[in-house]
Amino acid sequence: MTNHRFDQNIDSDSIDENFDSLEVSSRWTDFVSRFLKKKLGVISLIVIITMYTAGIFAPILAPYSYTEQNLERSLEGPSKEHILGTDRLGRDMYSRVLYSIRTTLIVTFAVIISGSLIIGTCLGLISGYKGGITDTIIMRIGDVFASLPGLPLLILINAALSPKINELSRWIDSNTFINGFQDSGAASYITIFFALSLFSWVGSARLIRSQVLAIRERDFITAARSIGIRPRRIIFKHLLPNISNLLILLISGSLGAIAGSEIVLTWFGVGVQPPAASFGQMLYAGSGARTFQAHPHLLLVPAFFVTMLMFAFNILGDALNDVLRRD
Amino acid sequence: MLVYTIKRLFWIPIIVLAVTFFTFIIGRLGPGDPISVASGQIRDPVLLEQVRIEKGLDRPIIVQYYKWLKNALKGDFGESYIFKGYTVSELIFPKMLISAQLGFLALLVVFGLGVPLGLLAATLHNTWIDPFIVSLLLFFRAIPVIVIIPPLLWVFAVHWSILPVGGWEGGIFDIYWLFDVIAIPIFNSHVYLPVFALSIGGFGGVARLVRITALEVKNEAFITTARSKGLSESRVMYGHILPNSLLPLVTVIGFALVGILEGAFFVEVLLGIPGIGRFTFEAVKSRDYDVILAMTVILSVMFIIINLIVELLYTKIDPRIELSDGNKS
Amino acid sequence: MSSKKLLAILLTILTLLIGIIFILTILLRFNNEQPTSSNPTNDSLLSNKSKISLGGADPVTMDPHLAGDASSAQYIVEIFGGLVTITPEMEIVLDLAQSLEVSEDGLIYTFILRDDIYFHSGRKVTANDVKWSFERAASPQLNSNTSLTYLRDIVGFIERRYGQADEILGIKVINDKSISIQIDKPKAYFLAKLSYPTAFVLDKNQIELNPRNWTRKPNGTGPYKLSEWKLGERIILEVNNRYHLGVGSVQVIDYQLSGGSILTRFENGEVDIAGIGKDDIDRVRDPSEPLNKLYRQSNNFMTSYIGLNNTKAPFDDVFVRQAFASSIDISKITNITFKKMMEQATGVLPPGMYGYDPSKKTFEYDPELARELLAKSKYGSANNLPPIVFSDIGAGAEGSTDTQAYIEQWKQNLGVSVTLRQTDFATFLSDLDNNALQMYGIGWIMDYPDPENILDIKFHSQSTENNENYSNAIVDELLENARSETDPDKRAKLYQDAEKIIVREASWIPTYYSPLHYVVSEKITKWIEPAMIVPKLRFVEIAE
Repeated sequence: MTNHRFDQNIDSDSIDENFDSLEVSSRWTDFVSRFLKKKLGVISLIVIITMYTAGIFAPILAPYSYTEQNLERSLEGPSKEHILGTDRLGRDMYSRVLYSIRTTLIVTFAVIISGSLIIGTCLGLISGYKGGITDTIIMRIGDVFASLPGLPLLILINAALSPKINELSRWIDSNTFINGFQDSGAASYITIFFALSLFSWVGSARLIRSQVLAIRERDFITAARSIGIRPRRIIFKHLLPNISNLLILLISGSLGAIAGSEIVLTWFGVGVQPPAASFGQMLYAGSGARTFQAHPHLLLVPAFFVTMLMFAFNILGDALNDVLRRD
Repeated sequence: MLVYTIKRLFWIPIIVLAVTFFTFIIGRLGPGDPISVASGQIRDPVLLEQVRIEKGLDRPIIVQYYKWLKNALKGDFGESYIFKGYTVSELIFPKMLISAQLGFLALLVVFGLGVPLGLLAATLHNTWIDPFIVSLLLFFRAIPVIVIIPPLLWVFAVHWSILPVGGWEGGIFDIYWLFDVIAIPIFNSHVYLPVFALSIGGFGGVARLVRITALEVKNEAFITTARSKGLSESRVMYGHILPNSLLPLVTVIGFALVGILEGAFFVEVLLGIPGIGRFTFEAVKSRDYDVILAMTVILSVMFIIINLIVELLYTKIDPRIELSDGNKS
Repeated sequence: MSSKKLLAILLTILTLLIGIIFILTILLRFNNEQPTSSNPTNDSLLSNKSKISLGGADPVTMDPHLAGDASSAQYIVEIFGGLVTITPEMEIVLDLAQSLEVSEDGLIYTFILRDDIYFHSGRKVTANDVKWSFERAASPQLNSNTSLTYLRDIVGFIERRYGQADEILGIKVINDKSISIQIDKPKAYFLAKLSYPTAFVLDKNQIELNPRNWTRKPNGTGPYKLSEWKLGERIILEVNNRYHLGVGSVQVIDYQLSGGSILTRFENGEVDIAGIGKDDIDRVRDPSEPLNKLYRQSNNFMTSYIGLNNTKAPFDDVFVRQAFASSIDISKITNITFKKMMEQATGVLPPGMYGYDPSKKTFEYDPELARELLAKSKYGSANNLPPIVFSDIGAGAEGSTDTQAYIEQWKQNLGVSVTLRQTDFATFLSDLDNNALQMYGIGWIMDYPDPENILDIKFHSQSTENNENYSNAIVDELLENARSETDPDKRAKLYQDAEKIIVREASWIPTYYSPLHYVVSEKITKWIEPAMIVPKLRFVEIAE
C-alpha cells in the first residue's frame, strides 16, 4: 500500500512510447478478448466486482447497522450471531467490513470521476489540442504532481485542510437552509477526495494528450478539418470515442492506489471521520502488538479483506498493463 | 541535454513556491489557526494578542508568507509552536538522520534481495519455482505495512522476545567484540523490523521488474546470436542478460525511495522510532503548523530533485532515450 | 555496453556484500547474547547498578515557568524546586524555606530560607533568586501561559504580567535569607499554589547567559539533575548529591522516550515500571500470571466529565441536562469498555482528595426518568431540540470508545441524535474559551491538592475557568466562604455542600475517575505513585 503511485499500475509512459504501435481504432472487443486470456486478471476482476457489489448492497446484506452497539458483547470472537466477531463497542465486524467496502467504493469512484475523468480529460484535451505554452504549463504541473511524494503530501494537506472543511460544514448546517450536512459525514469525504483528485489526474491527462497528438495527424481528422468541421466537434465526435477504451483501462489500473490511499489516510486520522466505517479505522483499532495478542480478530478481519482487495487490484493492474503493452 | 536540464531546474523553484504558498494559506486561514496552537492554555485576551503579535500573525497573510519564505531560504523554518524554544530545523534534522539511515538500509535490501530473486525467477522460468516466486512477490506488494507490523511485532518481540519492541537506540551499528579482540560492526537489532517492513513492498516490485526485463532480454536477437555462437548458458546469463535487465532498475530508484519514505510514516509510528515520519505524525495530530509546512517543502524539493537526477541518469546510461521536454516526462 | 557491465558488477558486489552482512549478523546475533554498548558517552551512567529505567515522552519544555502539561511537569518537578513542595502523600511541606510565618490577617507570608540550599552548579540560593524567579514568571517577555492562573493572588503580579510594572510590588526581600509575599485576600489554598512549577526558583546567571538554550541543561535545585536529553530518544537524570531534603537512593533514572508497547519492554526487562493498557489488564489480573504479583493500582487526582454549556440551547434548561445525565449507563462503560480500569465517578472531587465524600451524588441510570425530565423541559420532546454537537479531543480514525457509547445511548434512550466532532487539543481549548462548544468530553487534572482547584475554579460564576457558565448564587456563597475558612472540617463541609448542588444541577456529568494501573519490577523495593505529579524519585528504593 505504501509503494503505489497513482499511475504506477499502468505506466502511462509506456503508453506514450507505444502509442504508435497501438491501433487507436482497435475495437473494445479486441481488448476484452485479450484481457479474457489472462486468467488471474479475470479472477481478480471477479473478486473486486464481488466485493464492490457487496459494498453497494451493504444496507441489505449487513445483519446489523455499522453503528449499532452492544457493550455486553464487545470484543467477542466469531460466533453464530456475529460471524466475524465484534469490536470494542460490540459492533458487528462483518457489517463494518461491508460498510468499509462501501466507503472505499464511494471514495474511489468519486476520485476517479472528478480527478481522472473530468479534470484529467479536460486538461489532456486542452493540452493536446492547444499545444504551445498551455501544453507546457499543464504538462509541467503534471510532472510535478507525478514526482511529488503523494502520500506524505496528502497527509499534510489533509491535516491542514480537514479541520477547516469540518468547520465549514458545521457553518453550512447552522447558517444556511441545508441541514444535516454534518450528520451525513459528507465533510470528511470531501477533504479526502479533493486531496486525492489533486494527484490522480496526471495519468489520464498524459494519455489523452498523447492520443490527441497522434490522432490530430490522422487521415480522418485531417479530412474532417478540411471540410470545415470545428475542433470541438472533432473532439467529441471522433476523439473521445476513439480513446475511451484506453481511458477506462487506465483508470481501472489506478483504482487500487486510490483505495489504498483512502485506507492509509484514514488510518493516519486525516481521512474519513467517525462514525463512518473504513478499513483504515478498523486496522487502526487493531494495530499494536498487545492488541493483536489479546484480540487478534480486530486486526485479522480487516487485514484479510484489505490484502485481498489490494492483491486483486495489483493483479488486475498487471493484467491490464500487459494487455496495453502487447505489440 | 544541458538546455533540458536547465529547463527542468528552472521549474523547481516555481513549483516549490506554488506548493508552499498553497500549504501556507490553508495552514493560516480559518478555524484551528496557529494562534490557538501557539497560545496553548492562555486564557487572557490581552495576552492572546501579545502572542499574535509575537508570532507575526497580525500582519496580512502575504506579508507573513514573504517573511516565512525569506527565512526558509536561509534554512530557518521558524520556531515550533509546540516544542517551545526549539527551531523547526533543530527538531527536524536529527530525526531526518534516523529516517535516512533506515531508508538507506531499506534501499540496499530492496535492490540487494530483489535483483537476485528476480533473476532466479527468470532463470527458472519453466519450472514451478517461477510462478511460486511471482505469486509471493505479488503478495508482498499487496500486503500493507500497517497490516504486517503488528503480527511481526507480536511474533518477534512479544512471543519470542528476540527483537526489541520498536524504538531506537544508538546508531545503526552495534560493535561486537569477537573473542574480545576483533571489532565487528553489526546491525543494531532495532533496525531489523523497520527495515524489513520498509523494504517488503519495493523489494517485490524490483524483483518483478528484473524478472520481466530478463525474460524479455532472453528472447532478444543478440542473445540468440550469442547462443548460436556457442557461448555457455551462464556466460549468456551474466554477460548479456544480466546487464541488460538491470538497466531499467535505475528508473525505479525514485519509485523505491518514494515507497520507502511513505512507508516510514507508518513504520515509525507503529514501531515508535523517533524519525521524521513519527514526528510528522505527531505534528499532524497537534497541528504544529510550521513543522507541517517545513516538511512539505523539504519533501517536495527532495523528490523533485531525485526525480530529475534519476531521469538524467537514465539518459546518460541509455543513449537511445532522447530528452525532449514535451512528450516525455 | 561497458557502463552497463560496470553497473552490473557493482550491483552484484553490493548484493553479495549485503548477503554476507546479513548472514554474519544473524550468526553473531545468537552467539553474542550480551552486546557491549556502542555509545561510550553514556557507558558509565547506563551501566550504573543503582539505576532504574522508565518509559516516558518528550517534555514540551523544561522551563518550569512555561510548562503547562503533564509530560513536562513530570521531569520539571524532579529537577527544580520552589519555596514549598508536595510530598507523595499530598502534604504541603517547605522546600527551600526552613520556616514560614503568616501574618494575623492572612495576607503576608514570610519565608526564611534554609542554609543548605544550592543550585546543581553549586551556587547558593538567595532570597534575590526567589524574587527574580517570580518576576521572570510574570514578565511579559516570557509570556507564560500558566503564571497568571497560579500566581495572580500575589499583590502586583497582574500589573507586572501586563507590563505595567517592572517589579512585583507584593514580593519583598528582607535580607539574603528571608522574603515576604503579600496576597490580595486571605486564601487557605495559596501555599498549595506555590508548589506549582510556575513558582519554582531558577538560576538567574544561567538564564541571562544563555536565554534561548538554557533548558537543554537546566540548573535547578531539585533532587535530580538533567544529565542528558536526546529529543525523542532518551532523558537521563542523575541524583543531586547535595539535595537538602534527603538525597535519593537511586543514582540514575533512565527515561526511554522511543519504543513500542511499554509492557512488552517491561517483560523484556528494558524498563522497570510499566503502565497497563486495556488489552493487557485481563492477563495482569489473572493470578496465575507472573505479572499479577507486580501489579499495583493507585489513586489519580483526575475527574473525567461531560461538560454541558449552560448558555447554549438546549442545555440552558436544567431538565435537559438532567435528562442527558440520567440516560447514560456509565457503570456499564466503566465495567465493560474500560474493563473496570476506570471507576465510576460519584461526584466532582476525586477519591483520596481532602474533602472527598464517597457517597454517590451523581445521577442513577434511569432512562424512564430521563424521558420524563426531557418532557418536563421547555423543549418538551426530543424533536424540538436544536442540533447537538459533542466535541472531543482527538484526531484519530476512531472516536474515543466512551464517547461513541454515550452518543449511542442518548439515541436509544432519549431519541436524540448527537453528532461527534473531533478536534485537536489547541482548537478545542480556544473554542472552549470562546464559548463555542455545546457539549464536550474532557477531564480535569488537579494542579494542587485542594478542592478549591476544582470546585471554585470550575463552578464559581465569576471564574474564568467556568467554561460551562454555571451560575448559582448559593454555590457561589458556599465557595467564597470556603476560601477563607481556616477550620479544615468546616471547610470540607462547605465544599461538600456545594458539590451536592453542583452535581444535581448537572452542568457537569462527572463520568469516571482514572486510577493508575501499573506493574513494578521486583528490583524496586519501594515505589510510590502519587495521585498528582509531585517529586517522587528520591523516595524510590531498589534492591542491591
